[in-house]
Amino acid sequence: MEGLRRRVSNVWAVAYREASVMRHDKTFLGAVLVQPVMMLLLYGLAISNEPANVRWVVLDREPSALSRRLVAEVEATGYFEPPQWVESYRAGEQRLAHGDATLLLVIPKDFRRDALAGRGEVQLLLDGADPLISARVGSYVAQVALHFDAGGRRLEVRSAQGPSMGWSAPAAVSLRPRFWFNPTLRDRDFFLAALAGMLLTNLCLSASSLGLVGERESGTYEQTLSLPTSPIEIVLGKLLPYVAVSYGVLAIAILGAGLGFGIWPRGSWLALGVLTLPFVLASLAIGVLVSSVVRTTAQAVFLTVFFILPSMVLSGVMIPYQLMPNGIRQIGAVVPLRWYQIGLRRIVLRGGGFAEVWLPILALLAIFAALLALIRWRLKPRLG
Amino acid sequence: MRWRRLRTLLVREVRATLRDPFTMASLIAVPVMALLAFSYVLATDVEHLALGVYDASASPASRRLVAELGASDAFDPRPFATRGALEEALVAGDVGVGLVIPPDFERDLLDRAPGAPPPELQLLLDGAETVVAGNAETFLRAIVARTGGDLVSGQAWGPSGHAAPTGLRTVTRVLFNPRLEGTPFMVAGTFGFVLSFLTTLITAVSIVSERLTGTFDQLQLTPATSAEILLGKLLPLGAVFAFDVIVMMAVAGLLFGVWPKGNVLFFLGVSSYYVVTSLSLGLIFSATSTTAAEAVQKTVLFSVPLVQLSGFAFPLRSMPAVVQWFAEALPATHYIRICRSIYMRGEGPLSMGGDLLLILVFGVALVWLAARTLERRA
Repeated sequence: MEGLRRRVSNVWAVAYREASVMRHDKTFLGAVLVQPVMMLLLYGLAISNEPANVRWVVLDREPSALSRRLVAEVEATGYFEPPQWVESYRAGEQRLAHGDATLLLVIPKDFRRDALAGRGEVQLLLDGADPLISARVGSYVAQVALHFDAGGRRLEVRSAQGPSMGWSAPAAVSLRPRFWFNPTLRDRDFFLAALAGMLLTNLCLSASSLGLVGERESGTYEQTLSLPTSPIEIVLGKLLPYVAVSYGVLAIAILGAGLGFGIWPRGSWLALGVLTLPFVLASLAIGVLVSSVVRTTAQAVFLTVFFILPSMVLSGVMIPYQLMPNGIRQIGAVVPLRWYQIGLRRIVLRGGGFAEVWLPILALLAIFAALLALIRWRLKPRLG
Repeated sequence: MRWRRLRTLLVREVRATLRDPFTMASLIAVPVMALLAFSYVLATDVEHLALGVYDASASPASRRLVAELGASDAFDPRPFATRGALEEALVAGDVGVGLVIPPDFERDLLDRAPGAPPPELQLLLDGAETVVAGNAETFLRAIVARTGGDLVSGQAWGPSGHAAPTGLRTVTRVLFNPRLEGTPFMVAGTFGFVLSFLTTLITAVSIVSERLTGTFDQLQLTPATSAEILLGKLLPLGAVFAFDVIVMMAVAGLLFGVWPKGNVLFFLGVSSYYVVTSLSLGLIFSATSTTAAEAVQKTVLFSVPLVQLSGFAFPLRSMPAVVQWFAEALPATHYIRICRSIYMRGEGPLSMGGDLLLILVFGVALVWLAARTLERRA
């Protein structure tokens, strides 16, 4: 009992010292405050996967009221700028080749006659250099064409090539899609729901690794080692203030998304708080591990980037992990951010509670435990 | 500027860089890792996505439809006994897509009165995952339309009996990347990411640590001019990153079969010039910071919007007009555009004159600014 109390008081003393240092670190405080605002603006206002203002070119070989109506219907989807018209196929292809347009719609000769007879056909040329946008707008145009009512006799539609373009007979079965949780498929909701995950990864990893290495460089780490505290107590004490700062960042992220964009967590706030603790601890632990391997700040920076980069990419926080190839998807499961973003989106967007996020919490605890074991093994008291 | 002094400085930098094997290793390893991480992850299609199916019809026709969905490679159907169970799985995030087949599906499909609406399948999608939901809907539509047609046309009375389909046939051709794969797109963009972010970061850190140890002040006491010190710093690091470009090209080519379609030498030339531009930016960050942590924070704060707004992962044209203007003012935007033009469309220098000119101007301006900053600090 006495031993435990001493341990707690040791940890507390180190935490107090660390917090007073942090309070005077203007760079750190600036980063803590500026980053959330910047990311909120970026993901709330600037970034979206949804095509918009797409530039396209139309080659109409036989202008008619009908072909103009088709062009108007494509434009009415709202994804496109007003079309540019070209006189020849070559000219249109040239625009695509220079990246001046994403899509070339070719309306053939005799379009009106064929369409009225139910044999209408249009050609679509897409710029494969921009696959994400091309795949989407290609299917939008095909969809418009599929439902285009020429007013004459109608005929069976045969499927076009390529799986994502494969629009064919709509007649036999109809499909009524309903998008839950985010009916208009706004990317803003997708990004802002997991904003805290991105911010805390940046903060926890870089703050703990750079902080510890900085002390080693300036020699204050050795002074702390000479105190009657064990290394693990020092590490815990150093991390405590960061946990507090992390909850502050979480609050900023939630308030910013809520007040700025109306995206409040729909599920349990308590579950959100509980979920965050093992994630913050695991991220800080990675930072500690990094600092225990390197000798200089430069090395710490490289190694931190080495961890942050795959975290952001493979966790699915920005790019959906469900669509990644097998193997890559599984590698991402060892990254704490994977589980945190799953939990965050379940709570914030789907209105989940503890029943929905127990698995992410357990996974995060397991990752933290594994990291702690690694740190204990690495962190023998050593000088220099 | 004297060649002899510059050479001495170059030798010093090269020795200092080579002496630290850790830094050398990360200079090669981080770009390659970025390439590997990025090139796999962008998917325009759907593969083996869990699809929850509640089949209230339990008929040969519905079973055939589910089997077709499973055979497509796009979806892995998982049966649910009740609609409630399927909805719960969707809320919990266990499945991203749910398909509800109504009880009268087979009857409506096969014995439909002329003029009656076709049987309706209900598709429930998890809109929280915007990209997954959008892609999944497109794919399911295609498969259901095809299978539905097959189911009906397999019947004796043929397709003439049911409601006439409408619409136009679309013949699609994709230039440059016929299967719309994400890998070449991301590979070309990763050059931009590595040469914009990592270069800046590494210079920022390396010079600040020199300032901390005091060797930078010694350097400024020598007769070397600030332009010479600048070049002495930039050229060795620039050479390392030019080497990185070659390594990344080889990895992308050998591993993914993605080689540049345009001129390789032209690509190397533009990339080397761009490296000097970003290195100068890192130099400015480090010259205006007092600690390494500050330099790192500055770089990160600057690089996050730079990477996100440069069109590396998110489409530039989808951004609001003001943001687009801002993005055009970033050198990375133009470099990434050039990378994709050369890598995917095989364009030559003439057709991208505007971007090249801007990169050139940015480069001169940043190098000049870096030299000025060093002078002022001296």
